[in-house]
Amino acid sequence: MKLAFLLNDLQLSGGVGVAVRHARELASRHGHDVTLVLTHEQELAPWQFDGLAHLRVEGLAEARAERFDVAISTWWETAFSLFELQADRYAAFVQSLEDRFYSPGTPERSLAAVTQGLPVAVVTEARWIADTLAQLRPETPCRFVRNGIDKKVFASPERLEARRDEPLRIVVEGNPDVWFKGVHESLAAVDHMTEPHHLTLVTGTRGHCREEIADEVVGPLTQPEMARLYADSDVVLKLSRVEGMYGPPLEGFHMGATCVTTPVTGHEEYVEHGWNALVVDWDDPRGTARQLDLLARDRRLLHFLRSNALATARGWPSWEQAGTFMAAALTAIQRAPAPAAAGARQLMADARVELELHRGHIHERNELRRFARPVQRLKRLPGMERLLRARHKPLVRRLLRPLRPLKRRLLG
Amino acid sequence: MPDWQERITRETAPAIRVEHDLRYAAAAPVVHASAAWCDLGCGSGLGAAGGLGTPYEGTALLVDVDAAAIAEAGRVIAARELIAVTADLTDPEQLAQVRTRLMEAAPDGRRCVTCFEVIEHLSTFAPLVELLVALAQDADCSVVASVPNDAFWAIESPHHRTTWGEGAVAELRSLLPEDHVLVHQVALEGSALVRAGEEATEVASIAIGNGVPTHFVLAFGPRVKALAAGPRVVQADLGEQRRWERQRESDLHYAQEALARLERARDAPADAPPDPADNAA
Repeated sequence: MKLAFLLNDLQLSGGVGVAVRHARELASRHGHDVTLVLTHEQELAPWQFDGLAHLRVEGLAEARAERFDVAISTWWETAFSLFELQADRYAAFVQSLEDRFYSPGTPERSLAAVTQGLPVAVVTEARWIADTLAQLRPETPCRFVRNGIDKKVFASPERLEARRDEPLRIVVEGNPDVWFKGVHESLAAVDHMTEPHHLTLVTGTRGHCREEIADEVVGPLTQPEMARLYADSDVVLKLSRVEGMYGPPLEGFHMGATCVTTPVTGHEEYVEHGWNALVVDWDDPRGTARQLDLLARDRRLLHFLRSNALATARGWPSWEQAGTFMAAALTAIQRAPAPAAAGARQLMADARVELELHRGHIHERNELRRFARPVQRLKRLPGMERLLRARHKPLVRRLLRPLRPLKRRLLG
Repeated sequence: MPDWQERITRETAPAIRVEHDLRYAAAAPVVHASAAWCDLGCGSGLGAAGGLGTPYEGTALLVDVDAAAIAEAGRVIAARELIAVTADLTDPEQLAQVRTRLMEAAPDGRRCVTCFEVIEHLSTFAPLVELLVALAQDADCSVVASVPNDAFWAIESPHHRTTWGEGAVAELRSLLPEDHVLVHQVALEGSALVRAGEEATEVASIAIGNGVPTHFVLAFGPRVKALAAGPRVVQADLGEQRRWERQRESDLHYAQEALARLERARDAPADAPPDPADNAA
């Protein structure tokens, strides 16, 4: 099959990494002709994803000249370019219900939600997404393909050594600038701990959170570096608010680290409270700290959870297995009749124009805000407020009348 | 000691043999209602022979990657006609040949496929799943397949190329026709009292609730409503089991000793005196 995976960019992110890995498996192990189609002009050099060198990467302009068996969007924004490609079948690889990434009232939220109704076949990585889409679109079959784990990089130890005396080693990873990753909340929870601990914060963005709480700040890290860090750690602390099917706790499981997590969507795929992890409440830094303190004190419990985390990891599919399911899913999509897509192409084109216009307006607003900054500063000068109020008084208005032509000329 | 034996033989532990027999017994009504039956990964055929009950009146295609296993299966499975097909079930071309042979065996339809404990052995199962779905949708063919629940016990069998469990089954189900049937195979444990010197004739009824499955059985296609559920219980032949397990332990110990002796011989200097331990062994 000739397949196109549409991506916004090739920067480091879990979602892009998953799509690239599927593409690699489909090309190398299943003999499909796979192209990564980048829907935007790239300003930054791509992150060096493993296996990227073996994949064909094209821009939209080049890809428009080709015909594909299946074209697959991998992120809501890429869905707007999906119908620009010529393909026998169109599909969406849904990694989360992405409207939840944006605040209510923002255009991105509405547009991301619009893409969930597109007449395309669906593949998703989490059962909660499959269940939700089944309710939203009962007529559309949804293929379920879990993300794999690189079992060579996250190579599980044969057995775990019980750690009895050291401080509890905690890992928090994520971008503090992304509100739903819960990095700030994680740091706050660790800050409330009373038992000895060692916190490593992994982030590619520095200086945007209370880093002083961490004993160590590292990142961005490659996957082998992450594997080594997890192997040296006891707990992955993950207080996300929105996830599709998060990978870091699972990667930690493979290296023998348990997890303390919120009951975020996707956790139910492999997290079991009291068996391989501890599930904590939302917005409860003190309660989370008590759970971490419990693990720091009760090393028997810690070892039990770590051992079961490792056992859970053993039952999780490799990327090779996940790639086989993806190959089977895309074959099934190709074999099935295409959903009626009349109007979708135009709808998406219109929506994309709206999105670009909105981006233009946001850009314009930001530019104007920059220009307005000196005026704002002037307004904040001492006495300026009184002066501005005084201009409405009749006497002052009469005195300023000769300046009106000049004001009109200046302000148009 | 883990049991990594993958072919079912007469010496296989009774609990494992009865699991295999039960799956074939469940599929028996579907098989007997078909003009042609294809057993993918037939192995030694003992499970089919034990589970199908009466001789099969149609054409049986026995498919396996191992020709010797097919020959053995041919000796124990009773059918009106037997066709042996050696095929690698990861190869789309060989799968196409299997499909052709099955279509030819029942040109008027009423076909069925059993595929028990096979998928997990394949390096890629995508072509097989594609074939099974296509047969069910286009070729008047019922399919009954099974996979083990390895993920629950975190079992890492060296014979299994993929890991199966509740999550993987959910993935597989999303590829199957909507009206497919999922059956959980659950383990039973028990014991019975028999007056010494008498044969046991009583059969106890067993209450079976939901539990962790040992295997997942999936069925799809036109006649899968006939799939029979229900327990199968056999008396454990502890004498045979003990013989087999002790034989295995003894063989393993013997092989380990021999290996150690060979390694000592390999590592010893050429002019070193013989190791007394070697003579002792």
